[in-house]
Amino acid sequence: MTTELKIPEYKLAEEESGKWGMVVDTDLCTGCQACVAACAMENNIPYVGEEDAAYGRSMHWIRTERFWEGEYPEVRMTDYQPMLCQQCGHAPCEPVCPAFATVHSQSEKLNLQVYNRCVGTRYCANNCPYQVRSFNWRDYQDPRLRPEITILANQFNPDVTVRRRGVMEKCTFCIQRIHKAQDLAKSEGREVEDGEFTTACAQACPANAITFGRIDHPETLVSQLAHSSRGVHHLEELGTLPRVTYLKGG
Amino acid sequence: MSKQISRRDFLKLATAGAATTAVLTGCGPASRYVEREPYQRMPEYTYNGLSTYYATACRECAAGCGLVVRTMQGRAIKVEGNANNPVNLGKTCARGQATLQGLYNPDRVENPTRQNRGAALSGDALEWDAAIQIISDALKNTDPAGIAFLMGMAPDHLFDLVSDLAKAIGAPAPLRFGALGMFEARATLGRAAETMLGRSAMPFFDLANADMVLSFGANFLETWLSPVAFTRDFSKMRRGNPKRRGYFIQFEARMSQTASKADEWIPIRPGTEGLVALAIGRLVAELKGGSVPASFSSVDPLEVASTAGIKLETLEHVAQLVVGSQAPLAIPGGAALGQSNGLATAESVLALNALFGNFGIPGGVFLSPLSPNQDAYHRPASAREMTDFIAKMEDGTIKVLFVHGVNPVFELPASLGFAEALATVPQVISFATFPDETALASDYIFPDHHGLESWGYQRVVTGSSQPVLSGAQPVVSPYFNTRATADALIAAAQLAGGKFAEAMPFADEVAFLQGKLAALVGEPDGSFFAPEINTFTAYFQQHGGWWMTAPALSSPSASNALARTVSPGVAEFAGNGEFFFLPFVSPTLADAGANKPWLQELPDPTTTVMWNTWIEMNPQTAQVMGIDNDDVVEIVSEAGRVEAPVYLYPAIRPDVIAMPFGQGHTAYGRFAAGRGTNPADVLGVRFNEAGDLAFAGMKVEVRKTGKKPQVLSRLESRIGVYGEGMGEEH
Amino acid sequence: MVRRLFEWVMSPMGWIAVVIVALSVFSLAAFGIYRSQQALKPQPIQFPHNLHVGLGVQCLYCHPGAARGPSSGLPTINKCWGCHQQIAKTQTSDKLKPLRDAMASGANFVWVPVAKVPDFVHFNHRPHIAAGLNCENCHGDMSQVEIAENPQVMNMGWCLSCHKERAGGDEEKFIKLTDCGTCHY
Repeated sequence: MTTELKIPEYKLAEEESGKWGMVVDTDLCTGCQACVAACAMENNIPYVGEEDAAYGRSMHWIRTERFWEGEYPEVRMTDYQPMLCQQCGHAPCEPVCPAFATVHSQSEKLNLQVYNRCVGTRYCANNCPYQVRSFNWRDYQDPRLRPEITILANQFNPDVTVRRRGVMEKCTFCIQRIHKAQDLAKSEGREVEDGEFTTACAQACPANAITFGRIDHPETLVSQLAHSSRGVHHLEELGTLPRVTYLKGG
Repeated sequence: MSKQISRRDFLKLATAGAATTAVLTGCGPASRYVEREPYQRMPEYTYNGLSTYYATACRECAAGCGLVVRTMQGRAIKVEGNANNPVNLGKTCARGQATLQGLYNPDRVENPTRQNRGAALSGDALEWDAAIQIISDALKNTDPAGIAFLMGMAPDHLFDLVSDLAKAIGAPAPLRFGALGMFEARATLGRAAETMLGRSAMPFFDLANADMVLSFGANFLETWLSPVAFTRDFSKMRRGNPKRRGYFIQFEARMSQTASKADEWIPIRPGTEGLVALAIGRLVAELKGGSVPASFSSVDPLEVASTAGIKLETLEHVAQLVVGSQAPLAIPGGAALGQSNGLATAESVLALNALFGNFGIPGGVFLSPLSPNQDAYHRPASAREMTDFIAKMEDGTIKVLFVHGVNPVFELPASLGFAEALATVPQVISFATFPDETALASDYIFPDHHGLESWGYQRVVTGSSQPVLSGAQPVVSPYFNTRATADALIAAAQLAGGKFAEAMPFADEVAFLQGKLAALVGEPDGSFFAPEINTFTAYFQQHGGWWMTAPALSSPSASNALARTVSPGVAEFAGNGEFFFLPFVSPTLADAGANKPWLQELPDPTTTVMWNTWIEMNPQTAQVMGIDNDDVVEIVSEAGRVEAPVYLYPAIRPDVIAMPFGQGHTAYGRFAAGRGTNPADVLGVRFNEAGDLAFAGMKVEVRKTGKKPQVLSRLESRIGVYGEGMGEEH
Repeated sequence: MVRRLFEWVMSPMGWIAVVIVALSVFSLAAFGIYRSQQALKPQPIQFPHNLHVGLGVQCLYCHPGAARGPSSGLPTINKCWGCHQQIAKTQTSDKLKPLRDAMASGANFVWVPVAKVPDFVHFNHRPHIAAGLNCENCHGDMSQVEIAENPQVMNMGWCLSCHKERAGGDEEKFIKLTDCGTCHY
């Protein structure tokens, strides 16, 4: 117990590059909801039921947004825009958490949600400009309250914590898959290759609209797409440094 | 003790109470533990704590996508796409993802059951031996002409087995039906292919290589034919070629999810799709110069524009775009074919392709290849054929009815009278996995395994240029006391002896499958080569099917298509209402997704509504009628009436109302039953020339009910309809 | 008397006393509940680790997953039977009756896990073994116990103290080994 606690040198978020990033081509997204379903199945996300969904309590970690422009007959729908946690480099959710439950991962450069620290103040959700955080208003996964969970629980992914009531949650960039791929690569004495694994949403997307990978390696597909002239960062003006790039327009 | 506790004291007490409660919950067990149960006999290649992946085929629709299912300690954990299967190349749709919620659904039929046509699932469980005896008696003691099999569109191997059995015992060939096939108007597509492309087959639209796509009602990004393959092809059309971005125009009265991805959505009057196609053809031919084929010269673009409720300039603009493109493609489908003139509409659109000169060239129209072990293209039954079948049930021809993989009580229009006819059939035996409406109306339910617990194969009708046979294998052992229907039929036939046993000389389902796969053994040009059947079967499981490595599309001749005169005219509409009625298949639920909670909670792509049915109405029309969002209205057609809350949909013609199909179950488990309403309740008995249901050929009345509005759950309430919840963006 | 007591209770000091008493009672109750949750259920068979380790059986023989992935795995009775069917004593010993019965009936042994972490902790054996740790570093010396016991409370402080030590002076390693997201997701 004599090791000296060495606190890493503090860096401004702007000085740090991201590690994992995503590119979403909204010209290709067809709004088919395959990503939403894949995400729910991978991450043990509970369904909340009709009534709670009407209260805006549904727990989608990713959703496809679309907006209307104009009125009939000159009406237009904007491109579908899958909205998920942007894994901001400078995240508005982080400084407001009194319990340090939403913290920035120094090693993976992701926004973490540490369920066992979360006390449910919901300050983070209040401060998230992308509105991508969802709160467990009930024990949705408790078989005592929902008998059907007893059998539905067979499909739970053992690599992802089942959240209880009073806990905030959000997209993790499938951190369990990141760990799995890194662990496998390490056991074989190599680096994780580009395209070796991907997030559940990108894996399912029939239109190939979602690309995931290392944005700090210039040769990866996701880095190259992110530098496209069509690339847009949402609410960039807030200084959030999002790690998700949207490719807009035709 | 007479002192009253003041408000202040009460607050003090309450605070102390809250503090102790906090202490209690804070010290409770931090988490639940899962008991680890070791495998008694560990399957080969399985390690504790590590996942095993099995390749199989998806059974949520008939497209035959390949899946790889992640399992752990005997449980299916996650569905992923099979990257090698040419149909979906590693991708899945939302319904494929949610198939696990069918496997681990709390409302499955758990045992062979004596149902006795009760309103709810009876708990009267039987032994499988007794069940086999009942099937055996039904086969043996009935005149073969009185035995009928009604099958779903998947799986194909069971259909083959039942076909063989029916043929051998002299019973009528089994009939296949599915709601998706009905809404896709597959019979119409097949007939149009026969008259225009020279062969009754599924047309293949090479969307991936087209650069100008005109879709006449085809909802190919939703549920149409093979949505995952079409979505991939759409993606390639848009951005597959770095030099160009494919352009997409949709002609449709309501902006469907597919139309929402179009560069231009042109809301034409329902029933005028064929005329619009011909008018565009005429304008294109005139722009190109040269002769105008007869079908096209007979229409006047100005007149067509006014009939369709659009401007002539719009048609001219489209024609200009087509002329300026390299690879134009026109696709007929969806509600455009579900009209009285549906066949002529399909023919007009195929003729338009012939005029574009795209038959048999990349980005054009082909005929889909047959699957490896298929003799000819067999389409599912049209609604008219189902009507004939219902007549046979009513007149007593059918003595015993076996039903598997289809739920016609829910899927067919109520006015066809399937449920009433079913009640007159002396014996009905269902093999349903879930307690759906048809299963409950049966005498017995002998539940089949879920698709992920089953062996089998599925032929790929379209979606790949290669001939593909997708293979299924169990990824987990059966969760309940269910039995493969193939095994049950084989056992029953053998018990019946005589010609029945001769027809089914197999040890089990796998032996039957091997017999059907034997023809592919030694075939050199496939995804794998195996010299004998056992090796072949092992590879077939491992790869998730067998497919040819080279494309095998056939090119139709265009001269025939251009020589033929088609005159679609304007469709006839039944009923005297004010509104065209446009039912469409829910893109997320489709025909059988309503019992999976996560499919219910997926927001509909265009409206973002979850967990319910809605009626789409143009906001201007609604305002005139004094109808607001969420007001419950009644739709009255000549065939029936149905109620649902209104969703003011900005992108629908003012004279059209639309309603999704997929909800409105009276049974089918806790997540589906009693939720929403079914548009099939208002559909009338009208067919097009190919025998498909004219489901979009009705005019209906909309009546206010004055009922308290039922609030629809919608995801957009979280973000705002016009994005006002998202700050200044948009 | 009763009245005076009631008045005292309603006074500020009385309130504090009541709260303290109530807190102690509930804390004790909570601690009792907590303790009762920790007691292990009986194992399906009184498995003597010391005997098996003494006979030279390697840990990884029965728990092969430890070198390969997250879970070390608990053996199936087939594994037990592989050796025991060749041991004459298996047929006679009372202690081995559960094994004989399970084998005859085809039932499973449902082992009770001893070394466990809450389900919001995602522990992976493989990197620990790969880093050169031996089983006994965490699980104690199995040659000394019959039924496996946990020599220490497996809490976060225990994990982190070792992680910090192992990082040495390497900043990158330190960041990785103390990152919340390494174990919690």
